[in-house]
Amino acid sequence: MELKINGKTHSVEVEPGMPLLWVIRDELNMTGTKYGCGVSACGSCTVMIDGVATRTCTFPASAAEGKEIKTIEGIAAAGQLSAVQKAWIQHQVPQCGYCQSGMIMAAESLLDQNPNPTDEDINKSMTNICRCGTYQRIRAAIHTAAKMRAEQSGLQG
Amino acid sequence: MAEKANKNNKKKGKWTRRAFMLTGGVIGGGLLVGIGGNMYVNKKIKEYTGTGFGDGSSLNAWIRIAADNTITLAVPRSEMGQGVYTSVPMLIAEELEVDMKSVKVIHPQAESPYANTQLVAGSPRDVHSGFNIMEKVASFLPVVATGGSTTITDGFDNLRIVGATAREALIQAAADKWNVGTDDCYAESAFVHNKKTKEKISYGALAEAASAIEIKGIPTLKKQKDFKILGKPVQRLDIPEKVTGAAQFGLDARPDNMLFAAIKHASYHDGKINSISNQTDIEKMAGVKKVILLPEGIGAVVVADNTWRAKNAALALDFEEEGNDTLSSEEIAKLQEETIANNIIATPLDKGNVDEVFENSDQVIEAKYNVPYLAHACMEPINCTVLVDNDKAEAWVGHQGTSLVVNAINQATGVKKANIKTNITYLGGGFGRRAEIDMVLNAAHVANEMKGTPIQLVYTREEAMRHEMYRPAVASNFKAVVNKDGTIEAWENKMALQSVFYSSIMRIMPAMAEPPEKDPTSIEGAANLPYDIKNNRVAFGQLDLPIQVGNWRSVGSSQNAFFTESFIDECAQAADQDPYEFRKNKIQTKPRFLAVLNKVAEMSNWKTPLPEGKYRGIALHESFGSIVAQVAEISTQGENEFKIDNVYCVIDCGRIVNPDTIEAQMQSGIVFGLSAALYGEITFANGEVEQYNFPQYDMVRMNVAPVVKVHIMEVDEYPGGVGEPGTPPIAPALTNAIFAATGKRVRSLPLMKHGYKFV
Ligand code: FES
Ligand code: FES
Repeated sequence: MELKINGKTHSVEVEPGMPLLWVIRDELNMTGTKYGCGVSACGSCTVMIDGVATRTCTFPASAAEGKEIKTIEGIAAAGQLSAVQKAWIQHQVPQCGYCQSGMIMAAESLLDQNPNPTDEDINKSMTNICRCGTYQRIRAAIHTAAKMRAEQSGLQG
Repeated sequence: MAEKANKNNKKKGKWTRRAFMLTGGVIGGGLLVGIGGNMYVNKKIKEYTGTGFGDGSSLNAWIRIAADNTITLAVPRSEMGQGVYTSVPMLIAEELEVDMKSVKVIHPQAESPYANTQLVAGSPRDVHSGFNIMEKVASFLPVVATGGSTTITDGFDNLRIVGATAREALIQAAADKWNVGTDDCYAESAFVHNKKTKEKISYGALAEAASAIEIKGIPTLKKQKDFKILGKPVQRLDIPEKVTGAAQFGLDARPDNMLFAAIKHASYHDGKINSISNQTDIEKMAGVKKVILLPEGIGAVVVADNTWRAKNAALALDFEEEGNDTLSSEEIAKLQEETIANNIIATPLDKGNVDEVFENSDQVIEAKYNVPYLAHACMEPINCTVLVDNDKAEAWVGHQGTSLVVNAINQATGVKKANIKTNITYLGGGFGRRAEIDMVLNAAHVANEMKGTPIQLVYTREEAMRHEMYRPAVASNFKAVVNKDGTIEAWENKMALQSVFYSSIMRIMPAMAEPPEKDPTSIEGAANLPYDIKNNRVAFGQLDLPIQVGNWRSVGSSQNAFFTESFIDECAQAADQDPYEFRKNKIQTKPRFLAVLNKVAEMSNWKTPLPEGKYRGIALHESFGSIVAQVAEISTQGENEFKIDNVYCVIDCGRIVNPDTIEAQMQSGIVFGLSAALYGEITFANGEVEQYNFPQYDMVRMNVAPVVKVHIMEVDEYPGGVGEPGTPPIAPALTNAIFAATGKRVRSLPLMKHGYKFV
């Protein structure tokens, strides 16, 4: 099957039911996307499929054929960190860092849909687990990223 | 605490319990070189571990400087989110006079200069008075490991000396070159400057000459007021690669030709698999290369060409097995009761005459507390990658003890320790779980059966959760007599639990096991209360069960803070006193405790009543050389439903290294403690763990996480730990707030079990 990831097409030979997570990690060796639970409960494996944050540990690879898949490796456009990534550094969010690929993908997707989320919006849409408990800083970083994005689009617009 | 820090420094020649757990079998095979003088800066060992250091000249085992002025520092502690890849370089860079921006970090092999002396000897290496015997042991074993919140305590002086000695050598090299005295030179931002001519030379240009210079004695260290880096919030060096997906964890290792493996453990704890009934069927499954029964039948491993196939095949394994198939949480609770009643094995504290007070009083308060087993549930499932090839081996693993990894591979494969290379990756959480060696032993065993092929062994979340080294279930029965004026006349605390110390040592180094009654972790945070108590007894009994227990972030304090800080609240209630005032009156001779408690009261406006529907609880606890007080503020949302609005947290950890990291660790420790207080419970039925994955063992998420406000006390005392001390006080602070809200005392966790909901 053919999968388009971060703008590049890869062909892989796997069972159609194999979750996208394992195709990305083990067949294509893109290890930024993480395995945390395998049952859609933690969000470590989140990538964007056609712009929607999706937990890939239960998402069959075959269902992603013909779609635009974006992983954490594809977030920094042309080597430039995204607003979310910059805000993550500014607020010194990651601790162990393991959950953060999934957190960043979820935050990018939230901000794409809701450019100026309230705390309540963040609570509702950010349901990933961080065992290191970085939630407070994630929330602050999302607000900062929202501002940075608004400034950027202001500059461009 | 001031008292404690000093005492710590004097406590020589005594093994700490963490030493036993973390030394592993390094005895007998360690690197017996270079002892004598200060191991940290010994010139003989400066060429240790070139691996990863890159070009340049070594000033000592920790510092290499390249001609282009790149400064590479060895950080032999494990980065699991607690910030050591930044705090260790900060300590060196402060004295070396280099900017944090120009520093690169590598993780060296497990060699003697990098030993964690604090972990073994219970005190940091004393470079001023030479080596005591335990420090020497610590050096040549060497115990290169991370745990017990010891990195800063071990390195605070020594790492600065490492930097200062190298700086002096660089200055000497420049002075030689200019033919001036060293007094005419000074170091700044990786250059040596000539005061008179205003010339400057880069460290890079001096490194080769400096590496040959021997600095005698110990250079004077900077005064705190002159610090440029220490005590200031420094951006962590590991964070940039943790936002791009580039950071490498153990599971991200991809050596050439690697195969993937998944484990299925025996169903019962301490159980044994006699045979695999469907091995041939499993071996026919797509992608499966091999099925291997592990030694002693503790589990079986399927090797396949990707994780998905390996884990599906492992799940399908059918075992003929034996073990305790009746063990249940109800039975364990009964055993705890019986143990407390009839089988106390140790009374580490027995001050005054408790019995006499109880006999003569008709006001004895009694309360029974308990907590369940807890899983570490590190975000990154447990894993280890090993290659065994001819007489060599290599490992890729996020582990708390580099020397333990080497030791375990040697034990499982027979490969000589000198021929084992470790690649210590980032740890996707440690919390004590990644100081265990099971994953290394199992991966090494499989790799040894498949020589030449790197094997990545993963425990699926389900396997990781159902077969680990849990925080033990503990019961704690209290009795107290509180006078009308609020004095605690008598206090008795009898506990029943499995010994963490004994269980761990039996896994790692059974020959050095001490009996459970010697276990100091059982009473950690229970027998060392700061409060004035006239007659005081703390005792415990040991449960002998086939369940493995281990070090869980903050260890004994994780349960004992909940027990003691709840029961102190009960005592305050009995005396009809405010919980803050009650505590305060009992720590008048402990200035550091008093300052921390007063500060948290001030921050939380304790003396100002909260508006309708809002409640608060307070707790104070010392662990790992640091004192933490917390106030939890909650608001009622509905019947038995609360929101945790704010947590105020004050820490006294002595001298401050990176305040931003201390704040992060407090926030982290609090969320970790809350997950346990709200939801955490591992239970047993028919000999098996009932929780499989996050849906049954839930975690605090964004919506429940409170706003944590942290204050760090400025105290000029030797530093304490920060990775663990944030965890213990949160459970009692919260349950004391619930008592304020409902009038109901919560005496067991998790809260979920009592019908409390949090939104
Ligand atoms: S690994 Fe996919 S949600 Fe946890
Ligand atoms: S940073 Fe460790 S799990 Fe989130």
